[in-house]
Amino acid sequence: MGTMFAQYSNNLSGNSDATYRTDPFHESISSIRKMHPELLKHKRNETLRHGVRTEENSLKECVNCHANINENTGHYIDVNKKGQFCSSCHKKVSISVDCFSCHRPTPTKGGS
Amino acid sequence: MNKISKVRYQQVDGSGTGFYVLVALLSVLIVVALGAVYFMEHNGHYVTGMSNRIVWGTPHVFAIFLIVAASGALNVASISSVFQKKMYKPLSRLSGLVSLALLAGGLMILVLDLGRPDRLIVAMTEYNFKSIFAWNIILYNGFFVIVGVYLWMMFERRMNKFSSKVGLLALTWRLILTTGTGSIFGFLVSRQAYDAVIMAPMFIIMSFAFGLAFFILILLASYKWTERDLGDAIMNRLGNLLGVFIAAVIYFVAIYHLGNLYITENTGVEDFLLFDGEIYSQLFWYVQIILGGLVPIALIYSPVTRGNRMTLGLASVLVIIGGIAQIYVIIIGGQAYPMEMFPGMDIISGYGGIASYIPSIAEIFLGVGGIAVALITIVFFVKFLPFLPESLSDEVADPHHNR
Amino acid sequence: MTKALNRRDFIQNTSAILGVASVASGFTLTTFAADKGPASGGKRWGMLINTNILSEAEIDSMVSACKKEHGWGFEEHSTGSQKPSWIKKVKVQDRATKKITSLPLMCQHCEEPPCVDVCPTNASMKRLDGVVLVDRHLCIGCRFCMMACPYDARSFVHEDLSNQKEHMPRGKGTVESCTLCVHKIDNGEQPACVASVKTDAVIFGDLKDKNSIISKTLRKIQSTQIRADLNLNTGVRYSGI
Repeated sequence: MGTMFAQYSNNLSGNSDATYRTDPFHESISSIRKMHPELLKHKRNETLRHGVRTEENSLKECVNCHANINENTGHYIDVNKKGQFCSSCHKKVSISVDCFSCHRPTPTKGGS
Repeated sequence: MNKISKVRYQQVDGSGTGFYVLVALLSVLIVVALGAVYFMEHNGHYVTGMSNRIVWGTPHVFAIFLIVAASGALNVASISSVFQKKMYKPLSRLSGLVSLALLAGGLMILVLDLGRPDRLIVAMTEYNFKSIFAWNIILYNGFFVIVGVYLWMMFERRMNKFSSKVGLLALTWRLILTTGTGSIFGFLVSRQAYDAVIMAPMFIIMSFAFGLAFFILILLASYKWTERDLGDAIMNRLGNLLGVFIAAVIYFVAIYHLGNLYITENTGVEDFLLFDGEIYSQLFWYVQIILGGLVPIALIYSPVTRGNRMTLGLASVLVIIGGIAQIYVIIIGGQAYPMEMFPGMDIISGYGGIASYIPSIAEIFLGVGGIAVALITIVFFVKFLPFLPESLSDEVADPHHNR
Repeated sequence: MTKALNRRDFIQNTSAILGVASVASGFTLTTFAADKGPASGGKRWGMLINTNILSEAEIDSMVSACKKEHGWGFEEHSTGSQKPSWIKKVKVQDRATKKITSLPLMCQHCEEPPCVDVCPTNASMKRLDGVVLVDRHLCIGCRFCMMACPYDARSFVHEDLSNQKEHMPRGKGTVESCTLCVHKIDNGEQPACVASVKTDAVIFGDLKDKNSIISKTLRKIQSTQIRADLNLNTGVRYSGI
C-alpha cells in the first residue's frame, strides 16, 4: 500500500509544466480512489444521455491533469500505458481499463 | 405388461477408439473456431467479408440456422409428451438434449461475432424491452431453463407425471422463441426482403424441418456407432415426418415470394433474389429448393429408396445444407439488395447497387465451430447420462407395429 | 399520437433518478453550473436542407467538415464499404422527370427511431431534444440498429482506432453515426456541416420554437422527409427532392 501511494503522489501532479489545478475536483484522495468508477459512470450518463457538459468528474479532465509528458520526445504518454497514472493501480488490482478503447488517452496537443 | 417399462436407458460406452477420434475431431474444429474468433476480434471486423452494407455475415447464417434448428429438435419430445404419441417417448430425452446443444452452439457463434463480446454482461443486465433482440435474449435463457427442467421431469421417475405439463410449456415457449427469431427479420420495415409478417411462421416450419434433420442424423449415428438396435418402425415414422416438414417449408417459401411479387414495389427485390441475384438466385434454386427440398422429398417417398437408412441420412444432410443456403439467401441476400430509400428515383451515386460480400475463412470456421460445439455437447452428455434407450428395435418402440 | 408519458421517457426518467440516487447515497453531489443544464424536452433540434440551392461542392465541404470534426474516414485497414461514413453525398434521378438532385445524407434524427427500438441494450438512444446517439458505453456491437435504419446512416468501426478527438470517443467494435454535433450545440454552436455552408441552403435550429428561422421557413416552403411513408418524423428535412 505504501508503494502504491508513492506511485500515486508521483503521478498526481501529472504534466508538471501545466498549471496544476487547485479547484476541488476531488474531495480527498481516498474518496476519489474509491468512488471514481461511480463518479465517471454517473458523469458519462449525464454528459452523453443528457447533454450536461461540465468539467467535474469528466474523464477528459482526468486525462488533462494526469497524463505525463515524455521528456525525450515532448509528447504526452497515454495515461493508461504501463506505469502511467491509470495502469499503476489498475494493473495491481487486475481490473482492465476499458475507457481508452474509445476515449483519447492524452490531452489534445497544445492543450493546457 | 407395461410397455414403457421395457424402455431402458443406458449411457454410451465411449471408451473405443471411434469415440476418441470423434471427440478429437470436434475439439480441433472448436479450437480452430476460437482461433478464428481471436483473429477477428483482435484485428476487428475488417478482416471479415462484412461491411457497413452487409453487417451480418456468415457467422449469423450459422447462428440463426442452429437456433432455428434447436427449436425444431424439440419436436420429437413434444409429440411424445404433449400429443401423447407413445412411440416417440423413448426419444424424448435425446430430443431435449439435441435441442439444448444446438441452441448453445448457435448462441456461441452469435456472441463471439459481436463487436464487443467482452460486454456480454451488458446484454444480460441492460434490457430495452421494445427490442426483439432483447426479447430473444430472455427467450433463449428461458428455453435453457425450461428444457432443463423438462429433461429433469423425464429423467426423474417421481417427476414423470409432470413431464407432459412442462412439455406443453416447452412447446409454447419454443414456438414463441422461433416467432421471435423470425421477427428479427420480419419487423425490419426498412428492407424490402424482410418486411413480411410471414417470416415468423415460416421460421417455425423451417425449425421443424432443420431440427428433425439434425435429430435423425444424430439418432442414426449414435445407434450405428454404439451397435444398438434401431427399428424401421421409428425411422420410417421420422422419415415421413421429415418429408411433410420439407414440403411445408417449400409451401411457405412459395407463399412468401408470391406475396412479395404481388406487391409491385417489391418486384425489384424478388427479381434479384429469384433471377438476377447470381450467387443468391443460384443458392435459392439449386441448393435450397432442388438439393435441400425436392431431392430429399424424392429420397423419402420414392418407392425405390423408401425406408432405406442411408437415403434417409442423405436426405437429412441435404435438408441441413439446403437450410443453411436458405438462411444465407435470407440474411446475406436480403442485405445485399439496396434499401428503397427514394421511391420513384434512381440512385446514381453515393448509395445503392448490390453490396458485395465474400465470406472470409475465419467466419466459416466460426460457424462450423458452433456446429462442433453442439455436437460435442451431445457426445459428452450421452456418454455421462442415460439419454439413449438401450434398444429402439421395433418391439420396444412400437409393440403393436405389426399387428 | 400524443402521449402524456411514453414508455421510453419513463425508462429514461427513472433510470436518471436511479442513477442520481445511487450516486447520492455514496457522497454529496456538487450542483451543476446553471448555464450547463441538461438537454431539454422543450426543444427539438432539426435541419432543413434546400437541395435547390445547395451545390455539390458545398455538400463535399459538409462531408469533409464532418470528417475533420469527428475524425472518421481515416481508418487504415478498412475497405471503402467498411470505413465509417457519417454523412455522404447521394445523387438521385427522378425516373419520370429525369431531374437530378444531389443531397447530403446522414442520420435523420427520427422522432420514432427504428435504431432505438431495436437496440437490445439501450445503447441507441434519443436525447430529450431529439438528437439520436449511440451510447458506446453500452453498445455491444450487435449491428441490429444498422439492419433497422432505413437511411444507411450508421457505421460499424471495423478496426482499432487511435488519436481520437477529445470530444468524440470512437472505438473498434461499436456502432456510430452523426451526432448532430451535440458537443457543439450544447455550447450554443451550429453543427460542423451546417457551419461549413455559407449560404442558407442548410438551416439548423429548434423545430419546437415557432419563431426560429427553421420553423418559419418550414411553414413557408415545400419540404419533405426521406421515407416519409415510414412515419418516423425525421428531424432532418429536405426541400427540392
